[in-house]
Amino acid sequence: ASVSGFLSLLSFTILFLAWLAGFSSRLFAVIRFESIIHEFDPWFNYRSTHHLSTNGFYEFLNWFDERAWYPLGRIVGGTVYPGLMVTAGLIHYILNLLHVTVHIRDVCVFLAPVFSGLTAVSTFLLTRELWNQGAGLLAACFIAIVPGYISRSVAGSFDNEGIAIFALQFTYYLWVKSVKTGSVFWTIGCCLSYFYMVSAWGGYVFIINLIPLHVFVLLLMQRFSRRLYIAYSTFYIVGLVLSMQIPFVGFQPIRTSEHMAAAGVFALLQAYAFLQYLKDRLTRQEFQTLFFLGVSLAAGVVFLTLTKPSLPPLLRYAKIHIPIIASVSEHQPTTWVSFFFDLHILVCTFPAGLWFCIKNINDERVFVALYAISAVYFAGVMVRLMLTLTPVVCMLSAIAFSSVFEHYLGDDMKRENPIKQHPFYPVKNSSVYSKLIVTMLMLMLLMMFAVHCTWVTSNAYSSPSVVLASYNHDGSRNILDDFREAYYWLRQNTDEHARVMSWWDYGYQIAGMANRTTLVDNNTWNNSHIALVGKAMSSNESAAYEIMKSLDVDYVLIIFGGVIGYSGDDINKFLWMVRIAEGEHPKDIRESDYFTPQGEFRVDKAGSPTLLNCLMYKMSYYRFGEMQLDFRTPPGFDRTRNAEIGNKDIRLKHLEEAFTSEHWLVRIYRVKKQENRQALDHKLRNIAAKQKYTSKKVLPSRFH
Amino acid sequence: MFYKLLIVVFLAVSLQGAPADGQKKKETLLSEKVSQMMEWTSKRAVIRLNGEKFRRLIRAPPRNYSVIIMFTALQPQRQCGVCKQADEEYQILANSWRYSNAFTNRIFFAMVDFDEGSDVFQMLNMNSAPTFINFPAKGKPKRADTYELQVRGFAAEQLARWVADRTDVHIRVIRPPNYAGPLMLGLLLAFIGSLAYVRRNNLEFLFNKNVWAFSALCFVLIMTSGQMWNHIRGPPYAHKNPNTGQVSYIHGSSQAQFVAETHIVLLFSILHCSRISHTAQLHTE
Repeated sequence: ASVSGFLSLLSFTILFLAWLAGFSSRLFAVIRFESIIHEFDPWFNYRSTHHLSTNGFYEFLNWFDERAWYPLGRIVGGTVYPGLMVTAGLIHYILNLLHVTVHIRDVCVFLAPVFSGLTAVSTFLLTRELWNQGAGLLAACFIAIVPGYISRSVAGSFDNEGIAIFALQFTYYLWVKSVKTGSVFWTIGCCLSYFYMVSAWGGYVFIINLIPLHVFVLLLMQRFSRRLYIAYSTFYIVGLVLSMQIPFVGFQPIRTSEHMAAAGVFALLQAYAFLQYLKDRLTRQEFQTLFFLGVSLAAGVVFLTLTKPSLPPLLRYAKIHIPIIASVSEHQPTTWVSFFFDLHILVCTFPAGLWFCIKNINDERVFVALYAISAVYFAGVMVRLMLTLTPVVCMLSAIAFSSVFEHYLGDDMKRENPIKQHPFYPVKNSSVYSKLIVTMLMLMLLMMFAVHCTWVTSNAYSSPSVVLASYNHDGSRNILDDFREAYYWLRQNTDEHARVMSWWDYGYQIAGMANRTTLVDNNTWNNSHIALVGKAMSSNESAAYEIMKSLDVDYVLIIFGGVIGYSGDDINKFLWMVRIAEGEHPKDIRESDYFTPQGEFRVDKAGSPTLLNCLMYKMSYYRFGEMQLDFRTPPGFDRTRNAEIGNKDIRLKHLEEAFTSEHWLVRIYRVKKQENRQALDHKLRNIAAKQKYTSKKVLPSRFH
Repeated sequence: MFYKLLIVVFLAVSLQGAPADGQKKKETLLSEKVSQMMEWTSKRAVIRLNGEKFRRLIRAPPRNYSVIIMFTALQPQRQCGVCKQADEEYQILANSWRYSNAFTNRIFFAMVDFDEGSDVFQMLNMNSAPTFINFPAKGKPKRADTYELQVRGFAAEQLARWVADRTDVHIRVIRPPNYAGPLMLGLLLAFIGSLAYVRRNNLEFLFNKNVWAFSALCFVLIMTSGQMWNHIRGPPYAHKNPNTGQVSYIHGSSQAQFVAETHIVLLFSILHCSRISHTAQLHTE
């Protein structure tokens, strides 16, 4: 009796330690810098959560944001997945109700690490359903520290994926449970969890396609049973109704092709069950099974041809034809290095786990095999989808490791079925030494895995990217806080209703930290508006001034990395601005104008005159020509492009410099109002003396 | 008086013929050129030019048609892979034009190979291939008449857009349907069907777990060794350093990879997995 008690204590302790490990390893950024929201997208999520916590739930759901996408505005309530904000808002509300006064920002920063622990617990539950408790504990430990998941859930990365992976694993656990037991209770639990997942992330499409695929494959394998029928019918109907409650999803589940597979399988299942019912009533022969097989295959082919191709091919089409999507670096295919970097030894071990699952097949192991195969395909096509592969890799490698350890650490005497003698590989009972060696090797592998994970987390995935840090030779640190310096200058020194124009990357940060109205932001829902901003940046100053006047712009903000050698600045992104502008205004902007005749993009004297006179160039290099960074380089030497700039004497007519941050990283310009009297150019002020025309005619003399 | 009148009339008629004769000669020359170009186009959508033909048809006036010329080097010893790919796209474009309803004699597609017309390359001071230049009906080609290959790529749709920009002739690019895909699918289905028919009494092989496990494993290993990246980006097998002659099978940067690299990784993964599955399999069987 005490054994089971000891076992559950051990499991509890291990899960608690896994939660703690996952939480702690995500705190590098908070310890090194401070508790701050990272990157770009989380700033919008934070701002929405702030709005939710100050104004209430219904205000958030009906929110029309007029301080973004000026003058269009953005309907936030209907274009966002509210799960993240509601979760953070709810936790904040409950804590404040208990008089634990935590600021909403701290809740947002630490939400993802807390939920990583919950993900570990749900992975444990899922793997325990699939294999056994030992594998479950291993899987929980793996997913707590694996870099593929940490990259999107560090402290400060307040983004949908942080809670969505927990919702995913929990939904899958409840689905497996409901297929195993066939009870409506577990299925309704699965539907509620699915509803949470739909509210949290757009990746819910993966669930609504994987579960029907699982049902379909079970039908093909002749594993139809009453439990399956109850589970899927309830899940589809209740899940469908619940998913349509999210305003952003709306009527998509009954209209778009990504959801049609679920409907098709639902119809197929009803037909199959009906035929099964008839078969029980009437006597038929053996080839009836073939008939069922043939019918389901035919129906499956029909449904597959009716539904359009799935997500990644669609994304590849979008990538080729829409420049904005192509410019995001996460939408690239995956090299093997990324697999190894994010998953280390798990990526080599999980095929073995897959092998075991298929060799000892049952209903739920079919599910995990399908999950693995589809996830590995998607991850191969797009780097960003590595995140969906990570949970299944953890689970399957945990199964593999668990099997190995069971074989080598299990007690031979107590084994239920002794090792059968394989005809080709003669097996002797492994001696103590070989067991010891193999166990030591496996443990070493696991230790190296833990070290690798921590190293990757510390070096690659823990930078807030709002604050930059550089390290000197002696190890001391220089903090470059230019971004926040500039945003706070904006917040404190400009009018509350001032409008700031910048490239779309910085829109969320400006709205979040500076609290000013922006023209375009990371949502990128309106390509023509972004193209207008791109056109203003790439035209010369007068043409740009016309556009800025029409858009009521008060300030322009650009990022310039030439002083410190920062390579993510606006001049490096400039070609994308030109391309997007050219897409909408092909007659005014031509990408070839910005290259030299040889086809190079140069900022020095040999650069194209269009480039040297465009607004972005002028704003970036204003007064830079007088600046000499060190003795070896001439004044006006751009460290990022490694070139001396071509146009050093820049004069701005319609803009004036408002603010430049300490390391010249962020530069803000004020748009001057039009003057009452237009000053004429000197040329036009000269009045050319009129030519006096003297007629050469002589009066005819009549008096000759 | 009558004879004077006759001589004047005769002179008037003959003199009128002389300037008109020059005009007529020009017209006949032009229509000859056009009909020759049409005849060549009817035989082959992309006209092959050498130096002499180029000078006669493109350089020498009169000309009322514009010509798009691809300057390329397709001989195998030139080792220009881009030229071959661009040539395929160019052929698709020219064929789409030739078989379209809007086909006129206002625009022609031609090509000059370096080995056939190197004097043309020299004359135009060209030293890179492939290059696409539009020779408009009137005047010399300007800077925009050279197609920016580096920026736009050589897809037939992009070329068609550029042609429409420069010559106002809109060509709808129609790619010949690729029968390879459906054919393979048809063959596969036929194979599966025949297998199912032959073994219709005993479908046990479908339920053999080893087959399924093995194929699942193959798929997973192929994906995780980076084959999709190879399929999308098309890297070389390995890289031979031109200066030192050393062959490197592993790419220096982590953003890219060689095909050889993925095969090495695949091998290691197979060894690792088979070892683990073998040791533990003895227990679970």
